Amino acid sequence: MWPLRELYSAGLGAFALGIAGGIAAHFGLRSAQRISSLFSVFALIGSLLEGAAAVGGLRSGGAILWAVPSGVPYLTYVVRLDALSSFFVLTLALVGAGVAVYSAGYGKHGAAAKNPALFGALLNLLLAAITLVFTAGDVMFFLIAWEAMVAAAYFLVVTDHEQAESRNGGMLYILMSRAGTGMLFVGFLLLAAPAGSTDFRALHFTGQHLPGGFGSLAFLLLFLGFGVKAGIIPLHIWLPAAHPVAPSNISALMSGIMIKAGIYGMARVFFDFYGALPVWAGMIVLLVGVISALLGVLYALMEHDLKRLLAYHSIENIGIILMGFGAAMLFRSYGHPDLAALALIAGLFHTLNHAIFKSLLFLGAGSVLHATHTRNMEEMGGLIRRMPATALYFLIGAVAISGLPPLNGFVSEWLTYQALLGGFGATTEIARVAFPIAGALLALTAALAAACFVKAFGIAFLALPRSASAAQARETAPAMRAGMAMLALCCVLLGLGATWFLPVFDPITNQAFGIAAGHRLVSGNGAILSAGSAASGTVSTLMLAVTLVALSALPLIIWLIWGRRGRSVTGPTWDCGLPGLTSENEYTATAFSKPLRMIFSVLFRPRREIQAEYEISPYYPKAIHFESEIEPTFEKNVYEPLKDGILRVARRVRWIQAGSLHAYLAYIFVTLILLLLFAVRG
Amino acid sequence: MYFWQDPQFGDRMITLMAAFVLVLQITMVAQRWLITNIRAFAVQSLLLAGIANTVAYFNHAPHIYAAAALTLVLKAILLPVFLRRLVARIEIRQEIEPLVNVPLSVIISGLLTMLAYVVAEPLRAASGPGDSAALGHNTLPVAIALFLIGFFMMVSRRKALTQVLALLSLENGLFLAAISLTYGMPLIIELGIFFDVLVAVMILAILVYRIRETFDSMDVSRLSRLKG
Repeated sequence: MWPLRELYSAGLGAFALGIAGGIAAHFGLRSAQRISSLFSVFALIGSLLEGAAAVGGLRSGGAILWAVPSGVPYLTYVVRLDALSSFFVLTLALVGAGVAVYSAGYGKHGAAAKNPALFGALLNLLLAAITLVFTAGDVMFFLIAWEAMVAAAYFLVVTDHEQAESRNGGMLYILMSRAGTGMLFVGFLLLAAPAGSTDFRALHFTGQHLPGGFGSLAFLLLFLGFGVKAGIIPLHIWLPAAHPVAPSNISALMSGIMIKAGIYGMARVFFDFYGALPVWAGMIVLLVGVISALLGVLYALMEHDLKRLLAYHSIENIGIILMGFGAAMLFRSYGHPDLAALALIAGLFHTLNHAIFKSLLFLGAGSVLHATHTRNMEEMGGLIRRMPATALYFLIGAVAISGLPPLNGFVSEWLTYQALLGGFGATTEIARVAFPIAGALLALTAALAAACFVKAFGIAFLALPRSASAAQARETAPAMRAGMAMLALCCVLLGLGATWFLPVFDPITNQAFGIAAGHRLVSGNGAILSAGSAASGTVSTLMLAVTLVALSALPLIIWLIWGRRGRSVTGPTWDCGLPGLTSENEYTATAFSKPLRMIFSVLFRPRREIQAEYEISPYYPKAIHFESEIEPTFEKNVYEPLKDGILRVARRVRWIQAGSLHAYLAYIFVTLILLLLFAVRG
Repeated sequence: MYFWQDPQFGDRMITLMAAFVLVLQITMVAQRWLITNIRAFAVQSLLLAGIANTVAYFNHAPHIYAAAALTLVLKAILLPVFLRRLVARIEIRQEIEPLVNVPLSVIISGLLTMLAYVVAEPLRAASGPGDSAALGHNTLPVAIALFLIGFFMMVSRRKALTQVLALLSLENGLFLAAISLTYGMPLIIELGIFFDVLVAVMILAILVYRIRETFDSMDVSRLSRLKG
């Protein structure tokens, strides 16, 4: 038995020290800069301790740590580490540790350097708040932790508050979060009222017993409320606005773990609070997942801002996770707990994997941003020679997110496919059709993601530098490289060692469906991954890796046998007869994504403008201006009308606010008299 | 039985004083001079203290004496003196310029009094005329009328100082309602309310002063300029 309580509280204590120390240093010391890396150390220690507690929680299958009455009605500080909580805390610990190490080197640069101590305090606060979100065992306590997380993240997003872009991104983020929290509040109250308790244990499997339409209403409210945080389409617009403007280590935390708080909430609600849900609920989640995945990756393809591109990929991956969740809900509705467990494992495993490779990619983007001072990919290029370590880690992250074997992204996406394909045989009616379509669209999504990262890696790291700042780029600090290396190692280990990791999910599926499905997916003495039944597919990442190594040896052998006798000639790249190829002749990101922009022009509605300046004849232009942009569909068609509507109503109501004391008094007076008359008549 | 032991007599006394209180309230509506308004308020508070005393005497509720004494000291003496000094200090024009003219104001006050009686009717019927607990039951409609008319004065008067006066008479209505319905609230609550009123008047006095300093007038309509 692990000392769960001690590890958990020691972890929170480390975060608390980081918070207190950061604030004290900010207000007390003039040279807070010098000790700024200390606060990252607190974050690292805290993450590691929480990770140990999470491992203990997964081994013991759940434990109540505390239930402290607060003295305030309806609020009890219940902290518990059950299997689901432990899994998410483990995710937090892995991401947090990597980001903390990276931050030790990053804190001295960029906007964070202005108030390094305060920045460290907020970083610790964010980690502590997310830990509490994952471990809170009471509705009110959960919401308090949730709001603390939102607030900490907001302040971190606006670290660079002198830029209008940061302020706007932060404002959009906090507005959306407020709306989400409002929905969560109502949804939780609807659930908790009939249960008569706000304790999560009391809410277990109570959702489906709610009277009338309240069960469905609570489900929808909670789904949307958590969906805002997770970034499902169409509630995603804050992600591409807030993620790029935050410091990169914060982007990594937000995209890696904070949006997973939304996923955690959904898992908690769908598979803990609801024992069964109607088919339409699962269909909605699956549909939202498919739409988010596909549109997310399509918008990512059109981005030339490296961090915005990654933010859109977060939306895509949230979609893939939700496809797993939706499939699990549908299988539960149709009475296939084994398939439901498979789909849930796929979703949760992808949550962990995405947390790791997305924070890795954001950290890599942060290093690139730090070295080149731009987020625009068109001004990068040639970085692989200047920052080889960063390029390697970014490449590992890119391979993982593209779902290529043998890394971790492949395993969880493969499991998701298997679950979706299994749905064809196991369900009836509309779901029977929906599953193969979802599977096909998932395949399309993965292919597009691969294309997108070919673009991102190729344009940013390969070829010649496209700008002076890219040419002068230098490799980043050792601490930053170490942080990325940790996460890259996790990507490789979770890919190759997936079969050893999967039994971790046993207690979770046991809690949700009553079967321990994780170890059933493993066969062949832990070398082979199978999708549960004999009919479905099997795969082995380890064997794939060995094969890849073996295959790469093949050309070497061929060269050794015949190559040495051959003749090699080195010459310049063919330049179409025009002398002097420069970086301006390189393939650009815009050009790369052009075919897809045309194929999906219905969706993108691209606008293109070409203006040529000439003196003598249009055949001899002096300069050509080229402008291309795609229509921000959701902003324009959903949020703009919404905003206009609210403003219109507000303008109409504004005359009430006359600014006259007499008018206000008269309002109260007239209301009073009307109420009196009403009381007399009634 | 002497007449001062007869609850019937007490009831009549209270009704008589309540009637004077109401008349004074309408006088305040009809009066155009600020000083007279303050005097009317002082007399009204004095009568209120009388009512409280009578209720305390006939119901053998000694804690109401304390409330009566507080009313006497605070509202009948201290606040009027304080307000008169304020008027003298800020040297404003003595005439009140209501937003609604005087005859119409009086008519509205009459209508509000009627409304008060209509509203209080169910409560009067519930207790019944011969009931000993009905001591002062006639005062409830008066209290409501005081409240409504006080509120109406707040709405209809321009100057901040006259609104303070209106608020005070409105509070008198609340006090009267408390006395007539429950024979006085617990003393601690009464003390709280008195303290509240005192602080409110202090703050309002400061506010009045500041408004005059800033706008060179006490007309609160000018505050609408502060709107963004």
